[in-house]
Amino acid sequence: MKVTINNKEHVTQANTVSELAAQLQLPAKGVAIAIDNELKPRTFWDDTILHEGASITIIKAACGG
Amino acid sequence: MLQFISHYTEKYSYLDSICLALQGGCRWIQLRMKDATDEEARPVAIEAQKLCREYGATFIIDDRVALVKELQADGVHLGKNDMPIAEARRVLGPDYIIGGTANTIWDVKAHYAAGVDYIGCGPFRFTTTKQKLSPVLGLEGYRQIIIKMRAAHIDIPIVAIGGITKDDIPAILATGITGIALSGTVLRAANPIDEMKHLTNIVNHE
Repeated sequence: MKVTINNKEHVTQANTVSELAAQLQLPAKGVAIAIDNELKPRTFWDDTILHEGASITIIKAACGG
Repeated sequence: MLQFISHYTEKYSYLDSICLALQGGCRWIQLRMKDATDEEARPVAIEAQKLCREYGATFIIDDRVALVKELQADGVHLGKNDMPIAEARRVLGPDYIIGGTANTIWDVKAHYAAGVDYIGCGPFRFTTTKQKLSPVLGLEGYRQIIIKMRAAHIDIPIVAIGGITKDDIPAILATGITGIALSGTVLRAANPIDEMKHLTNIVNHE
């Protein structure tokens, strides 16, 4: 499905936030993710289902500095 | 996204303010204790972090890079007179969120090049919370910065800050701003928890 991540269009096979985080190889620490503006605690990532057109914001510690 | 910046009043302590924000549904907390020493801030930060963990909220501390590393908070927010972003990144490494205050597109570009993860951009309007203040941006200021960020392919989140009230939020988010940082407006409400619930609802549905 098509989603936007930090204002850029992406196509993802991920169904949940956890799957998306794995697909993007996000680190285990220093990441916050919001779906449609709502920040999702990491403990909810497994249960948070992505939908077509979701606006995703990722605040991620810059890899490698 | 809503970031709550800790604040105190005659009625509420820093910790009270964070507790109220969490109870009101905010999941991004910045502990800001500008005039305190690290020794004074440490016990508050430890408690605040515990609360944030309970609620699954992201916890960042203003300015105190060493304390962030010591407590393994989620990150740090750096103002214009704090440690430079690049230096904080060297100290903290890649596993911490680093936010930086910007007033202009040049600040945004410099922070981005230095490895910042999000921008706190303001002030939206005149505020009494901060004594040393840069020129106010208003909606047009945000529009211009967003246009220039996109042109420069800078895709990190940008949070508006500075004297924002709930009536401003829809118009600010319509400029392309990703999130809103709030401090004073929540604690001034008659019922801060209800106010925070109302604010998170507005932000999450824009």
